[in-house]
Amino acid sequence: MATPTVTAALNGSVFTPGQQMLLTVTYSDADTQPLTVTIVITDAKGNSSAPVKTTVVIDPLTLTVTDDSGRAWARVSDNGAVAVYRSVA
Amino acid sequence: MARVTVSVRDAGGHTATATADYTIRRQPVLGGYYLSGGADPTADMAGGNFRSLTQYRSFADGYIFPGYNRPWLITLGKAGVMMNMVLELKHYGAPDGPQTFTVDGTTYTVPAPSMTIQQRSGTTWPKAYGYGQVVNGQCDGLFARALSQYRTLGFGVNIQLASEFDTDHEFGTTEAGVAYTWAQSDARAVQAVNYILTWFKARTLPGGTTFSVGIAGFNRDCFRRIHPEELMARLDFLQWNAYATNASHTALARFRRTKDWAVADLGPVALSRPVLIAEWGVRVAEIPNQAAWIATVPAAIVQLNAEGAPWIARTNYFNSGWGTLTPKATGLAALRAAYATPPYV
Repeated sequence: MATPTVTAALNGSVFTPGQQMLLTVTYSDADTQPLTVTIVITDAKGNSSAPVKTTVVIDPLTLTVTDDSGRAWARVSDNGAVAVYRSVA
Repeated sequence: MARVTVSVRDAGGHTATATADYTIRRQPVLGGYYLSGGADPTADMAGGNFRSLTQYRSFADGYIFPGYNRPWLITLGKAGVMMNMVLELKHYGAPDGPQTFTVDGTTYTVPAPSMTIQQRSGTTWPKAYGYGQVVNGQCDGLFARALSQYRTLGFGVNIQLASEFDTDHEFGTTEAGVAYTWAQSDARAVQAVNYILTWFKARTLPGGTTFSVGIAGFNRDCFRRIHPEELMARLDFLQWNAYATNASHTALARFRRTKDWAVADLGPVALSRPVLIAEWGVRVAEIPNQAAWIATVPAAIVQLNAEGAPWIARTNYFNSGWGTLTPKATGLAALRAAYATPPYV
């Protein structure tokens, strides 16, 4: 299995109290692949159902965010490759 | 410096981490002042780290910006002193009949003020333009006159609407013969403030213009009623005043009282706003050593700001009334010393 990659970027480096801080996390893993599985059920007489499609993710990543100042970060969005977290200075 | 660490982990236990560093910079708190009678404070401020000033004007007055015979306000403002201009619907006692005047070519007639406030028994109740008069558009000329003068200043100011709504409403109000309770008066004031904000924000304002509402902050229910989130979304500061009038009053306790109510009762928008202390003071009758009390203020503000939002951004000493510095030279020296220490530098 491959080692995942991650980068973290803030919308600034110096904040004043009360200011909104946004953290953008970009992450990936070569093993993480969305697959589409198509299922068709066929009975003993050879009658087949209509195909049904479903999506599965192979080796999904777990993302954690910690802050040594104790500030809480709330997830605003996450599309599987880019996640945005928000906190307040 | 603070560090946020992000890590990802796959099903097989492979991990990767990334970090991002940031700093929270606390800008210095602005030490400020007010001199009795709205008098020229330039001499008192000279040589000290005074960066903020409170002033009071009545919308009834024909001279709001900079004020009658107050050219020094322009000098101080252009020198970077941040102005907190308290604009009041309260009538200061000039002849209070209807007014007709022309602003930038448009003639307005504004009726006589129809409300009484500060209805303490045994006193003469001051008049004020009524909240009904405001929302009915009868006071638009007053706002137009103020804005026209404001545009000539050359800098932006904070416009604090009312000095202390709690003091104004404590004993109810009466407009056009109808009596309103304290709570009703608060609700009506919020409507009037919203009207005034809409009026000003629909027009071109000098850069740096901010708005707040005025409140002493001595009553928790009133403080909550005056700060609905929908209103706070249109305002730039929280505001309250802090006075020591008892020997047992510490600076930390006096600045903290209203903050604690804010934290407990107000919403996230309100708490995201910095705090402008328009007045603070020490009453010499109970606390003869004003200088010693003033010397404890910087540490109190540091502690309160370290505890979290809302963050106190400006503190203006009220050298008048309860706060009168006695002797003045000793008090001013204490103020100068306080404003020369963190969080003021």
